[in-house]
Amino acid sequence: MNISGQNQAAKRRSQAKRSKKPGRRDLKKEQTKERILAAALELFGAKGLARTTTKAISKKAGIAEGTLFNYFKTKEDLALYFFQKETNDLIKWFNAQKRMEKAPLAERLFAIIHRQLEYLTPYEDFIGAVFFRSLQANSKLSPLSFDSQELRLKYLRFIRDILAQAEEKKEIPPVGELGAYALGLFYIGMVLHWLHDTSGGKQKTLALLDRSLSLATQLLKKGNWAW
Amino acid sequence: MGAGILGNHLAYQLQRPFANQGRKAEQRQALRRKNAKQIREHLQILRGPLMKLGQALSMQTHLLDSEVVEELSGLQTQAPPMHPTLMRAQFKSALGDYPEQVFRSFELEPFAAASLGQVHWAVTKGGDEVAVKIQYPAMREAIQSDFEMLRTAAFPVRLTGHLQESVVREAERGILEETDYLNEARNIERFRRQLATLGIAHVPKVYKELSCEQVLTMSRVPGRHLQEFLKTKPPQELRDKIGAGLVRLFFFQLFRMEALHADPHPGNYLFNEDGSIGLIDFGCVKYLKPEVARCYAQFWSREWLHDAELYTDIVRVIFGDRKAIKEPHVRRCLEGIGRFYDEFHPLTDPPVALDLGDPRFMDCLVKLAKTLLQNKFLSPEFLFLSRTESGMCNQLHILKARVATTQIAREWMPPISRIKRGEKLNLNH
Repeated sequence: MNISGQNQAAKRRSQAKRSKKPGRRDLKKEQTKERILAAALELFGAKGLARTTTKAISKKAGIAEGTLFNYFKTKEDLALYFFQKETNDLIKWFNAQKRMEKAPLAERLFAIIHRQLEYLTPYEDFIGAVFFRSLQANSKLSPLSFDSQELRLKYLRFIRDILAQAEEKKEIPPVGELGAYALGLFYIGMVLHWLHDTSGGKQKTLALLDRSLSLATQLLKKGNWAW
Repeated sequence: MGAGILGNHLAYQLQRPFANQGRKAEQRQALRRKNAKQIREHLQILRGPLMKLGQALSMQTHLLDSEVVEELSGLQTQAPPMHPTLMRAQFKSALGDYPEQVFRSFELEPFAAASLGQVHWAVTKGGDEVAVKIQYPAMREAIQSDFEMLRTAAFPVRLTGHLQESVVREAERGILEETDYLNEARNIERFRRQLATLGIAHVPKVYKELSCEQVLTMSRVPGRHLQEFLKTKPPQELRDKIGAGLVRLFFFQLFRMEALHADPHPGNYLFNEDGSIGLIDFGCVKYLKPEVARCYAQFWSREWLHDAELYTDIVRVIFGDRKAIKEPHVRRCLEGIGRFYDEFHPLTDPPVALDLGDPRFMDCLVKLAKTLLQNKFLSPEFLFLSRTESGMCNQLHILKARVATTQIAREWMPPISRIKRGEKLNLNH
């Protein structure tokens, strides 16, 4: 844990260095990417992934179709970019939450998944389309694809660190990497439930999330956890 | 009347497993304690109607072992809270924004837990101190599915007629009603308006713009809970005054409002040094049919003992036209209730002040509960009335108040000649 703590500090320092000289070109690139993403999300939501053309995206973003390909090779790369941003936002947000340092594990995990769902809320139709797409084996969005591995690992490491902290504090017995995998799968299940949840304010998802996390952490605490 | 019937039935069912466990007394007590703790923990996880049943059971202090009561009473104030992250998420899901954006200040830790939610102190942007009740997410759906389970689990008991579908339905309706805080807001406004004329009760004010189905913002009500109030060692005079106030409150609701604050668990009453009583939690309010209040008065007069016509009339109102319960059972029930009233409201002239700390009143209540149970007295219309009345008896007993119950009853009771003519009782109509 100490090591990852130092890593984070080092990362922050290097980020600070880099941000001192934000190349104007880099900044502009990032802005264009954002513009493309915003245009794409709107179209994906309305028409689905398959029926949205790159032509329509570039037109909506106000750029040439050729320029679009400089940034994203395929529509799936665009979707991946969305999830990269989402994961980065999540990690940054969570590390800034002072109160979370002392919160029990169930609450920390709840906060993480709830934040993710909140991030997805404006793009519900898009997420629905992506979910369907990612089930296809040759999709870059599939959990088995090479392209999504980096993002997946980033998320899993983040969760593993949080579980390791709880292990260190003796909140739960050692669950190892399996714990992070399990939570990753649980998150996918929660997104599916959230997509289907028609209750007002998606309250059924809130209740399910809370009950299942407190049940899981209670079971872990009791021990006798046979994998 | 006189006892929480559904609660009694379940108390009876719950008692059995405890009676057979272990041989040695110590062992048995340890086992019971463990069991009691388990029951409480399970009820807390469920958070739904079963928790309400737990609260109802903990009221029946004389029917259960003291270990069980001790654990169950934990339910009344110490339900497991939503953690701050869930609470904020739920608040936003219900009112559209996070609490710190809506209020000037908002305490993340709740000061009280209710079975369906929890209560936080806050200060409005206008600077008013308020209590904000927030409901656990998707309670309504959870309760509906819990009741489906209860129906399945209770199937054998329903077959034997110990638990009638109408009783379950009434309980479900009551509990579901509690999940709509806007309904509670309407109840509060009505009670606030009408109880103002009595002058001894505090009822909160609702902040409508800060309330919705799952969030209820109310002004703070002064006073302490019964147990805390007793810790201040109130003098006998004050106990008597409050005891009389409780009885007045009951009859005022019954005969003037024809509506009852029907969730009599001690956490819902606050007591003050000037003898005034704070009422909170109006989720469970029962609006009575006019003939129920009239029937109560007819019954209370005890003239039916000599008047066959009156007797038939009462039986018709309480039991309806159903022939489910046989005449000897009916008679035994009514005589049981009559005996209870002879103790609790003796028709002596002049009326005397009763020392309600005397254990005989509680014994009497238990005896009545047993009689009613054995004779299958289950009337949904009277369920809430009896819950409120037995809750009041319980509080008066714990307060050790001396109250001239009969005298107060007579002040509110309409004259028997008018009752017999079947005139309307409610003066507000």
